[in-house]
Amino acid sequence: MSIVRDGPGSAPAPGAVRPRRPVRGLARSLLITAALIYLVLFLILPFVIVFGQALAHGLATYWAALVDPMAVAAIRLTLTVALVAVPLNLVFGVAAAWAVAKYEFRGKSALVTLIDLPFAVSPVISGLIYVLLFGAHGWFGPWLAAHDIKVMFAVPGIVLATVFVTFPLVARELIPLMQSQGRDEEETALSLGATGWQTFVRVTLPNIRFGLLYGVLLCNARAMGEFGAVSVVSGHIRGLTNTMPLHIEILYNEYNATAAFAVASLLALLALVTLVARAALERQAPELRRKPLPGPLP
Amino acid sequence: MSIAVHGIKKRFGEFVALADIDLDVATGQLVAILGPSGCGKTTLLRIIAGLETPDAGRVFLQGREATDLPVQKRRVGFVFQNYALFRHMTVFDNIAFGLTVRPRRERPPAAAIRAKVEELLSLVQLEWAAERRPLQLSGGQRQRVALARALALEPQVLLLDEPFGALDTQVRQELRRWLRRLHDALHFTSLFVTHDQQEALEVADAVVVMHRGRIEQRGSPEEIYDRPGSGFVHRFVGSSNELPAERRGGELTIGPLPPTSSPGPDARLAVVVRPQDVAIGRTGPGWPGRVVAVRVVGPLVHVDVALEGGNRDPVVAEFERERFRRESVAVGDPVFINLVRYGLYAPDEAA
Repeated sequence: MSIVRDGPGSAPAPGAVRPRRPVRGLARSLLITAALIYLVLFLILPFVIVFGQALAHGLATYWAALVDPMAVAAIRLTLTVALVAVPLNLVFGVAAAWAVAKYEFRGKSALVTLIDLPFAVSPVISGLIYVLLFGAHGWFGPWLAAHDIKVMFAVPGIVLATVFVTFPLVARELIPLMQSQGRDEEETALSLGATGWQTFVRVTLPNIRFGLLYGVLLCNARAMGEFGAVSVVSGHIRGLTNTMPLHIEILYNEYNATAAFAVASLLALLALVTLVARAALERQAPELRRKPLPGPLP
Repeated sequence: MSIAVHGIKKRFGEFVALADIDLDVATGQLVAILGPSGCGKTTLLRIIAGLETPDAGRVFLQGREATDLPVQKRRVGFVFQNYALFRHMTVFDNIAFGLTVRPRRERPPAAAIRAKVEELLSLVQLEWAAERRPLQLSGGQRQRVALARALALEPQVLLLDEPFGALDTQVRQELRRWLRRLHDALHFTSLFVTHDQQEALEVADAVVVMHRGRIEQRGSPEEIYDRPGSGFVHRFVGSSNELPAERRGGELTIGPLPPTSSPGPDARLAVVVRPQDVAIGRTGPGWPGRVVAVRVVGPLVHVDVALEGGNRDPVVAEFERERFRRESVAVGDPVFINLVRYGLYAPDEAA
């Protein structure tokens, strides 16, 4: 940079260090305190209470609630549902984000709006839609019954409802990311002879990997925690169609608070893991930045 | 003939990007496509590369029809304005990319790839940067990596989209001269798109000026500058002044200047004149005016003259500093201007 002397009244040069004015201490501490109180009251306190209640009657009771066959069945079902729903939405999310970010086509904005639909409707309504479609008196109900395929009040229904509710998560995480990255790298790869698949695996995927991982984490957390939609389609058959959130509700309604909070603590733990993983990803994401070194040419 | 396109048309919705383009580029030439933004020059380049499909017309590369060939099979090097380096790969892997994605039986052995990449790194003078990532390099360095990457497949044709557009003036000047030397040393055929006339005039063997989806003129840089084929080219390439004129009965009248003979039908016309072709004198004959500004631009001096009987923008005249000292005009001086050389065009042919 050349040395330019500023005349009186001229703006400071970019990057110049301005003498710091003493910050208004009061406003700042007020804001921080308010935010902290809010966080403690609405986020941290409930979190602590979940664990407090779960462990209220000691570790043995806590453990017993978790290894109860019904609880184990609920945990297993929740894991199964997530294991199906998350990969499905991973594929769908990448495909949708790819289409929206890298191509121009008619109805693109309609597609983006549609992707948001599950966030816009109440999960209970999402569940009811499936009852209307696949229930005994629904559109496909008689056909399904004739072919002895159970969707409602069975695992397929729960998976469908979960897929519906969680499908925006991966796509929404990726669309802005892919849009900001543009198409140039992919086009370059193609012009260098790479096939479409090679371009995806070697250029696109590495560029979106952190966003994708985070989207998957969120999708997973929501898939495991979904209550409303799943509640409508599951039928609450203990040991068969009860997921963890449903199981927690049943236990709670039976005044079995300790067991309810014990299972709930697992979901709370999942949230904690998601948050920590997110923080770790965000630390990774900004690529190493170092100043360019001098070379023989500019 | 390395690149030939015939009757290329392309629309984006209602917008006509390319009206009807014919263009030939001889093997070994370095040709610039010059035009304002939105003139269709990048679209044309992308169609030649296979990144865009034309609505009509045909593309030939190395004498073979390539219109329906996918981009992977065209074997052209393409360099983007913003470099488009693979940000998660090292410089080495970026350059090696084109070789490593080849099908296994065509792929050179790892040692050969390494040797090739090292050769290219030394060609672009970035041997020290092999293990760095694109973000750790400056703009000029990144653009050289992009060039090396495109050259790794030894393409016969290199297409460059505003290759130096994002760089500082000095860096771009250095790099474009270096590109010219590289081009001469490696004998490929290059077509590059630019909106910078300096760049086009300085390094290209031939310049193609585009405007509104059409080719306005094609010629050597001297031809384009000295004998512009249209009002648009005259106005767009180099700087110019514009004055109204009228032709009546074979005589052309430009303001109060003495009429000159000019065969042709009666019409209102526009005179386009370059600043260095405007002569300033202290005495008549000439178009009287008053000096309103004097600007020293390096070795040159620009003098703005407000003409009498015109409320239009002042006319700019350009001199070398030496001559300006001898003439010594100052702001406020009454002067007379004459036109040494000018182009005559229809007035509504505005850019």
